[in-house]
Amino acid sequence: MVFAVAAIGFWAARNRAMTSADGDSRALHSLPNYYGTNAALSAIVPSLAVLALWLIMQPLLIETSVSKLIPDAAISEDTTRSLMMSDVRRIAHGLDTAIAEGGMTPDEATGLRSELTNLRERLASVGVALGSDVQAEVLFAAQKYRMMTRRASLYMMFSVLTLAMIGAAYAWSRSDKDFRARNIVEKAVLALLISAASIAILTTLGIVMSMLFETWNFFGQYEATSFFFGIKWAPDFRGDSALGILPLLWGTLYISLIALVVAVPIGLFAAIYMSEYAGPGLRAVAKPLIEILAGIPTIVYGLFALLTVGPALRDYFAQPLGFSGGADSVLTAGLVMGIMLIPFVSSLSDDIINAVPQSLRDGSLGLGATKSETIRQVIIPAALPGIVGAVLLATSRAIGETMIVVMGAGAAAAQLDKGLLEAINPLEAMTTVTTRIVSQLTGDTDFAAPETLVAFALGLTLFVITLGLNVLALYIVRKYREQYE
Amino acid sequence: MSTEIQGSSLFAITDNVRRRNLAEKRFRAYGLSAIAVGIIALIVLLSSVLSNGSGAFMQTYVTLQVELPADKLDKQGNRNVEEMKSVSTFGYTPLIRAAVVARADQLGWGMPDGMTPKDMGAIISKEAAAQLRRFVLANPDVVGMTVTLEMLANGRVDGYMKGRVDREIAALDGNVSPQQLDLVDLLVEGGNLEKRFNFAFLTSPDASGQRPEAAGLGVAILGSLYMMMIVLVLALPIGVAASIYLEEFAPTNKWTDLIEVNISNLAAVPSIVFGILGLAIFINFGGMPQSAPIVGGLVLTLMTLPTIIIATRASLKSVPPSIRDAALGVGASKMQSVFHHVLPLAAPGILTGTIIGLAQALGETAPLLLIGMVAFVKEFPAAPPEGFFDPASALPVQVYNWTQRADAGFVERASGAIIVLLVFLIIMNAVAVMLRRRFERRW
Amino acid sequence: MNDMRIAERATHVSTRKISATGVQVHYGDTHAIKDVNVEIEDKTVTAFIGPSGCGKSTFLRCLNRMNDTIDICRVSGQILLDGEDIYDPKVDPVQLRAKVGMVFQKPNPFPKSIYDNVAYGPRIHGLAKNKADLDDIVEKSLRRAAIWDEVKDRLDAPGTGLSGGQQQRLCIARAVATQPEVLLMDEPCSALDPIATAQVEELIDDLRQKFSVVIVTHSMQQAARVSQKTAFFHLGNLVEFGETGQIFTNPIDPRTESYITGRIG
Repeated sequence: MVFAVAAIGFWAARNRAMTSADGDSRALHSLPNYYGTNAALSAIVPSLAVLALWLIMQPLLIETSVSKLIPDAAISEDTTRSLMMSDVRRIAHGLDTAIAEGGMTPDEATGLRSELTNLRERLASVGVALGSDVQAEVLFAAQKYRMMTRRASLYMMFSVLTLAMIGAAYAWSRSDKDFRARNIVEKAVLALLISAASIAILTTLGIVMSMLFETWNFFGQYEATSFFFGIKWAPDFRGDSALGILPLLWGTLYISLIALVVAVPIGLFAAIYMSEYAGPGLRAVAKPLIEILAGIPTIVYGLFALLTVGPALRDYFAQPLGFSGGADSVLTAGLVMGIMLIPFVSSLSDDIINAVPQSLRDGSLGLGATKSETIRQVIIPAALPGIVGAVLLATSRAIGETMIVVMGAGAAAAQLDKGLLEAINPLEAMTTVTTRIVSQLTGDTDFAAPETLVAFALGLTLFVITLGLNVLALYIVRKYREQYE
Repeated sequence: MSTEIQGSSLFAITDNVRRRNLAEKRFRAYGLSAIAVGIIALIVLLSSVLSNGSGAFMQTYVTLQVELPADKLDKQGNRNVEEMKSVSTFGYTPLIRAAVVARADQLGWGMPDGMTPKDMGAIISKEAAAQLRRFVLANPDVVGMTVTLEMLANGRVDGYMKGRVDREIAALDGNVSPQQLDLVDLLVEGGNLEKRFNFAFLTSPDASGQRPEAAGLGVAILGSLYMMMIVLVLALPIGVAASIYLEEFAPTNKWTDLIEVNISNLAAVPSIVFGILGLAIFINFGGMPQSAPIVGGLVLTLMTLPTIIIATRASLKSVPPSIRDAALGVGASKMQSVFHHVLPLAAPGILTGTIIGLAQALGETAPLLLIGMVAFVKEFPAAPPEGFFDPASALPVQVYNWTQRADAGFVERASGAIIVLLVFLIIMNAVAVMLRRRFERRW
Repeated sequence: MNDMRIAERATHVSTRKISATGVQVHYGDTHAIKDVNVEIEDKTVTAFIGPSGCGKSTFLRCLNRMNDTIDICRVSGQILLDGEDIYDPKVDPVQLRAKVGMVFQKPNPFPKSIYDNVAYGPRIHGLAKNKADLDDIVEKSLRRAAIWDEVKDRLDAPGTGLSGGQQQRLCIARAVATQPEVLLMDEPCSALDPIATAQVEELIDDLRQKFSVVIVTHSMQQAARVSQKTAFFHLGNLVEFGETGQIFTNPIDPRTESYITGRIG
């Protein structure tokens, strides 16, 4: 409807502008279509804004007023007002469905009395299931709710349409040959562009707010100090959980460390060879091949850890050494994650090594240094800040990685209270922050229990750690780039 | 000064140089082996997935003559479908069993000790009875006749045909016995059992934990497709609009800086955090349904945006300023010069970046776990747009889901699903590379 | 050009240090050096002059095989150092470059301390027995490069923190520290201001006592000031080679004359 008004506005404004210029579009300030677009925008933007606002406000207002209809006495002990309200909504919705399917006339719906009809059965016959028989107060509230909603929708439609027409008419009245329609339209487009760009900020805000809010709830139920300094992780949905983050952090850091021990030397050496030694032929083959590793989804690495690396390590490494662990281990997850990070480290280091000026290489070679001496003693020290930045970025990746550890590292938390040897055995299964977030938030979850809410606190911790690493890394890399520009 | 270089001959290689050249060789070897390790890791990774998963594309089918006695299936004898529905799936199981026994007898099967007709029927998938029932209810006229029916073999039998299960394993396995495998060999000889390409793997929905042979990727592929549609429709315009603003219009101020910092950080935020965002904002706060492609699509959109923005800005930047100046010079407004000239020239680069962003989104798993897409979904979602709100699965999540199941047959399915996923990714990346080659412009 | 000071001529008997015959250099499809024959003498400063792109730097880089680092560059012909072919497969370029040091157009100190910059060469070539020995080499080299007094109190400061002229002299010290027999200098003053240039030129004249110096320069005044021999390159050809005084006062080839009088360049 609004769009129809907008379309009419478009043509009317366009024509009016043309008429004002005696049909000669050259006399207009802007192209004719701009006048039309201006009118259409004037119709759409305010009316849709009101529509959106209305849709948000309406349920809130109606709920509060309907909620007052239910006397406190009607709320039995095993329920709460909010549960009652959801019943009210359910019934109101059910009545609508019943009318739509022809199981009930509108008059019947407004006049129903719970003493007289068995509403539960009638609604069940049209597919709306109710948990229990309907109380008189609830039914009355539901009927009221229904009426208010319908009346409000009517008002809403009327006001939105009026607004659209006023907008279109205003723009139409302003359309003449001297009116700067293009500038207005372009301002609107610019506003659109700015709002698109601002989504990034909204997203960050959304992330932070959503996690802060739930974390706040969590700390209302579980002490913050026991969370941050607890050395035991043993959630128990019956209550009395131990939710210390330290075992999880240890698992996360340990696996990341192994991953870095694998990825940094391999990635760095690969980058060095690729940029300093390899001929164009080898580079053309090897570089894309290694970059394929970066394009493979993490779930594939997870499966690789689960099906290939885990069993292989168990059968050929752990068992001959006398360890009787399962296929899930810190080493499995660390190795596979290391493979995943190789291209990440190598492509970043490649960029950084290439940014080292050729004059330094010449200077060293001109003194009679071999290539490897040049690389080790001149290029690497010169590129060191950049490489440190790359390693930090890789660390942040490793810490935030989820699927590989979910599938390869196991579910048991590190047992920091069992002594050092248990805690540092790489063949032991160890769980991580990300794994716990997944397991606490999947399946049936109760968003009031600290065992669920802890996931948000874990998420926030993870976010803060990775954010810190990223910011630091980006800062270092940027500083490094400036040095050679 | 110990070693005197001056005056010595160039041809006399000194010890020092010899030692250093050795170090040089070692260093090169390290570099070369690092590259080799990377490539070997890639090869091992891909071949392990391929060898584990290629089996999923073949499936063992059993073709048998099944008798459909009227007195069992249609007691009234009036072929009324509504009445025939009273015979449940369990009513069809004996028919299939009888068909196996009959064929085995024909082929001269001597029943070994300790084996019952029930064991013989068990070589056919439990899905077959349901399949037969659907078939009969769709064609009530076949009751009373004998029809040739092609059925899925049981997962273990399928494994035996593919070499995953042998008699040694079978002796230890409670679900299959060596005698049953003898029967399978007999049926293979009789031409009743064969392996064929498994189209159903791509089209049929997921199946329950005991029937890996019937599980397919249909719902997951559709769910992934829906999410990609949402990501494309949302992320491309928003990403392009944001990039145009940042690259062409944005003044240098605090707000712009804030946006820039945010974008580069969002690109590095762990994906699971986006899952938490989706759960908290879209599902708990916004009241959207769990497991729905719309929520997955929104979350993936937010994740893909930084990728698209970075790619778009790069390709906008590569359009030379002379084009902008030329447009401005003939009296176009800044906005017109961007939309009429710069944007079309940057389009191939934007498209390439978008495809790569979509490919990343397609393989993303962790955030989808949190918004409930890991649930067991057997129903196909409706056509869009309503289908966006129906529960669905997604390719990578389906893989994860299958790996969590007990039956070993699902391992093969999961690896097969990975192959499907990788094929999609390869196609997308190939298209991106082709686009880049085709439209690459040098200024 | 009237005030041009002609450097004093070499008085002692020169020995032949490097002799190049029939040198050709190709960069991909480009023929950069065409059949060049040059004799470079010991304890002499030889200047290569010519318009930019004439191949003088390319030829200089042939003398210590720096062109090896460029994939598409092919060198043919013969270059003898003390009678030994430096392009012989048996020759290790590393060993060659220890004998034929190089200073580059742009000062390129390593991102290390001043001390480590100078000690770099002696360390990799194993020239010092112990720390005291190394300290000695560093001090001598810095003194020889006429920069000792300026940096002796801050040897641990990064070399990149020095001024342009100091950086270039540091690079010369770095090259001198490996005790080369020949020092190649590729436009060593082009990035320096006049005062720093004067310092470096003075230094070059000093270095002649001990080394054979080959300097590429686009400044004819500089060539006249510091060199005893001059080679004029044009479009990849060696046009004229002889005593500096003779080249500048009485050139044989008309192209040399045009260049010196500023008609081509």
